[in-house]
Amino acid sequence: MFTELNSILNTSPDSFTQGDFILVSGRQSDASFLIHHFLSFYLRARCKVCFLGLVQSFSHYSAVCQRLGVSLAQAKEKRQLVFLEGLQEGLSVFIPQDDTTGNKALSFLSRDPMVGLQNLYEFVRSSVSSPGGGEEGSDGSEQWGPPVLLVDDLSVLLSLGVSARAVLDFSHYCRASLCSQLQGNVVMLLHCEEEEEEDDGDDEGSERLLKGLIHQCCLALHVQGLPTGYCRDIHGQVEVCWRRRQGDGQHTQNKVFQYKVHDKGASFFARGTSSAVL
Amino acid sequence: MLSELLQGTDTGGFLIVQDNISHSGRPLLKSFISAALNRDEDVHVLAFEASEEELKDGLQGLPCQRLHIHNAYIDPLGWTAHPAFTVQQFCFEELTQLAKQTSQPKPATLVIDSLSWILRHLNPPHVCKTLQQLRKGGAVRAIIGLLHADMHQRGTVGSICHLATSVIAVSPGMKADEAVAKTTKRAKSGKVTQDEEIFRINEDLTVVVLNKTSHPGPKQTDQEEPEMDPTANLTFNLRLSDTEREAKEKLALPFVFSKEKKMALLQSGPGSGRILYEPDANDDYDQEDPDDDLDV
Amino acid sequence: MAAPVNSVVNSSAKCSSFNATSFQKKTRSRLISIPGTRPSVQNGQLLVSTGVTSLDYLLGGGLAVGTVLLIEEDRYDSYSRMILKYFLAEGVVCRHELFVASAQHTPDDILQELPSPILDDVAIHKPVEQPRLSHEPQDSLDAMKIAWRYQNLPKVQTALASSSRFGHYYDVSKMMEAEIREAAKCHRFYLPEHPTQSSPTHSPMLESYSALLKSLRDVIQREGFEVTAPMSKSRNILRIGLHSLGSTLWGDDLCCHDNPRHGHALTTFLYGLRALLRSSLSVAVVTVPSHLIQNRALMGRITRLCDNAIALESFKGSEREANPLYKDYHGLLHVRQVPHLNCLASQLPDHKDLAFKLKRKQFSIERLHLPPDLSETVSRVSRGELAGTAMVGSACGSGTSGNKHLDF
Repeated sequence: MFTELNSILNTSPDSFTQGDFILVSGRQSDASFLIHHFLSFYLRARCKVCFLGLVQSFSHYSAVCQRLGVSLAQAKEKRQLVFLEGLQEGLSVFIPQDDTTGNKALSFLSRDPMVGLQNLYEFVRSSVSSPGGGEEGSDGSEQWGPPVLLVDDLSVLLSLGVSARAVLDFSHYCRASLCSQLQGNVVMLLHCEEEEEEDDGDDEGSERLLKGLIHQCCLALHVQGLPTGYCRDIHGQVEVCWRRRQGDGQHTQNKVFQYKVHDKGASFFARGTSSAVL
Repeated sequence: MLSELLQGTDTGGFLIVQDNISHSGRPLLKSFISAALNRDEDVHVLAFEASEEELKDGLQGLPCQRLHIHNAYIDPLGWTAHPAFTVQQFCFEELTQLAKQTSQPKPATLVIDSLSWILRHLNPPHVCKTLQQLRKGGAVRAIIGLLHADMHQRGTVGSICHLATSVIAVSPGMKADEAVAKTTKRAKSGKVTQDEEIFRINEDLTVVVLNKTSHPGPKQTDQEEPEMDPTANLTFNLRLSDTEREAKEKLALPFVFSKEKKMALLQSGPGSGRILYEPDANDDYDQEDPDDDLDV
Repeated sequence: MAAPVNSVVNSSAKCSSFNATSFQKKTRSRLISIPGTRPSVQNGQLLVSTGVTSLDYLLGGGLAVGTVLLIEEDRYDSYSRMILKYFLAEGVVCRHELFVASAQHTPDDILQELPSPILDDVAIHKPVEQPRLSHEPQDSLDAMKIAWRYQNLPKVQTALASSSRFGHYYDVSKMMEAEIREAAKCHRFYLPEHPTQSSPTHSPMLESYSALLKSLRDVIQREGFEVTAPMSKSRNILRIGLHSLGSTLWGDDLCCHDNPRHGHALTTFLYGLRALLRSSLSVAVVTVPSHLIQNRALMGRITRLCDNAIALESFKGSEREANPLYKDYHGLLHVRQVPHLNCLASQLPDHKDLAFKLKRKQFSIERLHLPPDLSETVSRVSRGELAGTAMVGSACGSGTSGNKHLDF
């Protein structure tokens, strides 16, 4: 959890808005450090978290969260965290063993991926509404807060052949059930490539997906490199866009911050005020 | 022109609110809904992209028994067993039936949020055909749709807007809560009017048109500062009093000729010579380049 | 880490008897030692050498076990193949197992061309193999002429010597001796030998890639490279070299069309490869003919699915060959991606414009700098002509796309 980012977004684990759909996007920059922030944030806030970790193995996420002060293994044991390890599940679909019962979540990989992500959505839905997930815990297990879905990251789904339309439908359904019905939050990460000129014929590309997700979201964090090039002390800039009206009815302006990622966190500062410069 | 459209005087109209990621058109759409409700009309909303709560937010004070929201947000593709409204139901027969369910003799207004969602799942010719049939059908009085222009190819956006009678394209304005609306209206006679206005939407979903501009980028808020008097704060006196000014006027200047002599000089006689001169190359003296003749 | 050293240790109560390295992580678990590996200074991951010491330095000390190195081939596939051969040769010298896959050349052809190592202090265990240096005594290694006080120390110490020696040098003009080469265990995959059966499912992966993935998984399981395998014998690393994936000989039309029909075949395979590697003690080097791939977005996705990525741009045949700036080098090297495993931040290389030169005994990668201009006319070579600055897109920095916002 990055404290400076919490103050920028005006949230804290004790008080955060519910029913939010947050989009984290990175253009040619690696924005996964923000997913780690949100993961540790919501675990600290005692929410029931469903994490689709499609990019790296469980031990990677575990090691990073350890540095941020949260133990994923413990959260899994206490059933606060449901973790889908995309790599292992995907491998078991590519090379089916004979004796797998298997999680059907990634079964779209064996069939035509154009079929859609309905099974993945069912997996998400069942994991957040399992006992101990905000409803009465019959076996005395701990009560957790509102459900949260984190996805790292959606561009892997595009790489595996899923169409942008299917991903948009999946995010629509997640938003409808998690944000509106269950009053939880959804955070999704998407990486885009270099922006090309108007690609009119590209209905399936990540640009359309990005625009569709921005239309759906209520908070967008866009990470990109500095326009002036590579710098060792400032790793890039983050643009924070609020899309919904805030409580007092005013639109909030977009804000741009620069950031630097270090071992145990990331620091955010206004443009030009990096400690390396001042 | 925005206010006229809000009053909704024309029937059989198809209005499109076009937006993009920089500014959402949903508040304007909700203003249209509230204006229709204020006129005691039935409004049917096909809600694909926004939840019922989000749409009803701001419409609390109005007579809501005329507002029928068809919830296509929860399960539009039929993934669960009992979907409320799916995208496959977007066809002429079903929608006519839907509109006729209300008991009022006056035909209803159909609001679609959003057309982009439907276009992602049904092919554009089918969508256009349905919309055209609805317009001609008589079951609905007017159709208002929200379209995200950056989500489709240009041709698709163009085809849908081609069917519309009015298109309002919103974009962000200079201040945070203002927006710019570019309206294009096609009358039945074929006349096309265009307008560009700055507007703001209040809490109660009324639209306030701030000022009409004919060119973009208004900057009328800055007024000219009054010219500072340069002779004001000096240690010496540069001003003239009235008597001093009179004396200055009366002073005879040294080389001023009398009036007669001026007239004589102006009409030059036949014998005066004229100088004819054509500048040659040496006269093209460029102050900037003194070394022009150096051979470097 | 990809194959976390901790979990390997946890699965074996008694690990190796020697505590081989002097570098210890500050945890209670003990590091195991596999010959030819060393733990990383930055985050304790297990690293292997790529065979090119300057490339090791660029990648942060070496290639982490469980990761993939993507090499974007140069136009004539000369230098990328050279690096692949260095990688495999290093595996032979460190006694790792090899897996070579190719659709164009038979794996045996590739293996026969491995450069010969310059062995001055690599200890060979089996007395059958003769080191090539003439001043070594012909009798057994146990009898040492000068350092005879040490000859009674246990053999373990020589293993220590070889495992602490990380990265070797190779002589490109000579081929590796057959005995040394045959001592290494090598698994081969040659695509024409695997007839493709049409798969019953519409999986996005092509049959050729599926077959390759299956073969890899079988080798890993059979030979016990999985991280969770029982520690009955000593562990070893599997080095996987995949030559020219994505080319048309693999059945992929990625290089032919702008909008390929099998656009997701290679990315799906790379995803499966990453899954295999993360759960086993193996490391992979994949070469891809990126100069033929037209779709830049797809190339970006391919890069992101690999952990390390470098691109080679050779001067041969291009107009840059005549440029006096580049006369000392054979080509440019771009670092496209560095991994950040088990940590938030990645260690980016300091320098962005790098050039390489293949010398007989070394493949050197240096920072490109302008030579002193000794010509009579003042010629202005614009910085824009140096390709490296314009096209590097690293994990965190972008190219100079807009100069409008000079904020600091």
